[in-house]
Amino acid sequence: MRVKAIPENCSGCMVCEIVCSLKHWNVINRYKSGIRIERKSVVEDIPHVCSHGRECQFECISACKFDAMKRKNGVVYVDYEKCVGCKACEKACPLNAVWIHEKKAYKCDLCGGDPQCVRFCSQNALVLEV
Amino acid sequence: MYCYGGKILEVNLSTGEGIKKALDEKLASKYLGGDGFGAYFMNKIVDPSIDAFSPENAIIIAPGLLTGTVVPTAGKTAFFSKSAMNNGWNESVMGGRIGFTLKQAGYDVLIIRGKASKLSYLVIKDDEVIIKSAEHLKGETTRKTAEEIKKDEGDVIVASIGIAGEKLVRFACVDCDERQAGRGGIGAVMGSKNLKAIAVQGTKDIKVAKPDKLYKLMEKYYEEMINHPSFEADGKYGTGEFLEWMNSERGTFPTRNWREGVFDERKEIDPYYWAPRFAVKNKACIQCIKPCGKAFVMKEFEGVVDGVEYETLFALGSNCGVAGIEHVAKANELCDLYGMDTISTGGVIGFVMDLYENGILSKEEVGVEANFGNGDAMLELIEKIAHRKEIGDLLAEGVKRAAEKLGKEAEKYAVHVRGLEPPAYDVRGIKGMALAFMSSPRGACHLRSGAYALELTGKFWKFEGVDRFSSENKGIEIAEMENFMAVYDALGVCKFSRGIFLLNFEEILDAAIGKKLSEEELLKIGERICNLKHIFNIKAGWKKEDCKLPEKMHQPIPKGVSKGSYISKEEERKMLEDYFKARGWDKNGIPTKKKLEELDIEEFMK
Repeated sequence: MRVKAIPENCSGCMVCEIVCSLKHWNVINRYKSGIRIERKSVVEDIPHVCSHGRECQFECISACKFDAMKRKNGVVYVDYEKCVGCKACEKACPLNAVWIHEKKAYKCDLCGGDPQCVRFCSQNALVLEV
Repeated sequence: MYCYGGKILEVNLSTGEGIKKALDEKLASKYLGGDGFGAYFMNKIVDPSIDAFSPENAIIIAPGLLTGTVVPTAGKTAFFSKSAMNNGWNESVMGGRIGFTLKQAGYDVLIIRGKASKLSYLVIKDDEVIIKSAEHLKGETTRKTAEEIKKDEGDVIVASIGIAGEKLVRFACVDCDERQAGRGGIGAVMGSKNLKAIAVQGTKDIKVAKPDKLYKLMEKYYEEMINHPSFEADGKYGTGEFLEWMNSERGTFPTRNWREGVFDERKEIDPYYWAPRFAVKNKACIQCIKPCGKAFVMKEFEGVVDGVEYETLFALGSNCGVAGIEHVAKANELCDLYGMDTISTGGVIGFVMDLYENGILSKEEVGVEANFGNGDAMLELIEKIAHRKEIGDLLAEGVKRAAEKLGKEAEKYAVHVRGLEPPAYDVRGIKGMALAFMSSPRGACHLRSGAYALELTGKFWKFEGVDRFSSENKGIEIAEMENFMAVYDALGVCKFSRGIFLLNFEEILDAAIGKKLSEEELLKIGERICNLKHIFNIKAGWKKEDCKLPEKMHQPIPKGVSKGSYISKEEERKMLEDYFKARGWDKNGIPTKKKLEELDIEEFMK
């Protein structure tokens, strides 16, 4: 399962980033979101989100020296007990879909199977791919 | 304080100083945010007697109270300064990400004063505030400026001006994310301060009082909005969706510098024509789930623009008699890149075309054959205005000043109210809006009241059976609608959501700030804000006599559904009197002591 981005549908509204941070952390903070939108130009709004292995080789897991990046039931997630915010995962991710903010890694955890970014994307720019 | 950044940042460009102060809780509850903070600080810190281009003028930027939350469509940022058009109150609200980001950086209000010694840009990264040289960006477009600054500063949101702001074109705008604080020349005020751009990064948390409750409300309004009958059409065709209706069903689509209210050649500028052919994707303001922006990719010309919005389809389309959509889109893009308000730009070009056709200006004087409908001439005039070249230098002053310089004959063709060129509502057939143009604190404006929808459909909110051809009972209608809309601008909510939320913010505010505010309480705050803007204007020299309509609005609409309708001088006077009365102001439009006490703002009239 993964959140698949369809950039040509993305309006750049950032609602995915906002709901993600509120759902996971009870605050609004674009830097605590597991998805990020890059507003590159008038015609390019590009969502960056983890593919959970569909388009990568789990480089973040291999790069983590603290055993903080884990995979369970197909979901790659951060173990915050162990994450020290060393940036190895951020640097290793080929999709630019893991970010460090204040010594913590942030990435998509698929919201337990019901990704809220997909739910609140009114433009069908994010779809759940099972 | 939930939902607030908690601080006010005041930057002085002359001294390079940045001062941070805590946001006072009482101030927040009295004014909410956005428009409310603007109304308060403009009165508090800006000397109303100074010129708009004086270093003493301030630029105030304030996100709405709900900007930076999950409340859908509540992502607006308001800009304030003394108006470059009429030296009075000015505000302009935009959907770029700068306000959201300022709040994440911890600021509810950014105040910029003084003047930098050379072209500069301001960088705010959370607590860090630096002024840097922008000499290398001199003359660059708004777009390129933002791109270059992002290369140097990383993940920042940039609000920038183009050449027009640098050249003090009086209707220069500020651009952020290809969205504009368009009206009243805030870009020119930035230019007068040698401020090319503001770059902001905010990485802090915005906390809300009841996250779970707010989340549930998000779900509720999300469903309501995407299932609303207008969702699909607005999404496909944007703000111009109702253009054909305005033209054919209402006959109030201003055409050829307000000669007519119907544009027969409208085929291509109707989004139902151009959106399927040129729009490649939707573009949204931050926090918006029902995007009305369109990424328009040109074919005949090279270019791309986030547009073309309804007002621009009028200003650079029907008002100049230009029927070709690519010319309109290119003009829109040039205005965005040079940083000019499309409404005023189209207003001043339509004015020149009218003068040209009536033999008041010659081809030699204009520099081009400026007949209505000449799209190439329109593009050339935009170039001249942005760079203040030849006749562009005069036109960059706006319709009012240009007409005064050209003399009596020209003034008959000058369409403005209190120095601001009007938006796309032929108020001769929408009489409440004629009053709204006169009463608006910034000059001719559709947004301070938003009463056009009510007038044109006959009902909204508490009003029913409204007759657009009548001038009766318009005072109370416009006053109440202005109070209503001031609440929206204080909360940072998009006015296109007014039919969804009305003033039912009680639960949303409970979840966001932990305090329920009823419709009545919100309207009181809205009224306070409207009165404060007016007080600023009075101190800046506002006179009742200036609240008048241009000559053309006293002449009947020549054809279409609204044929024959016009505003008589008597109606003009009476509507304004009704408005003063509805506001609790005296017959000269001065707020009474009683009203000021009732609103707890006596201190500002002293």
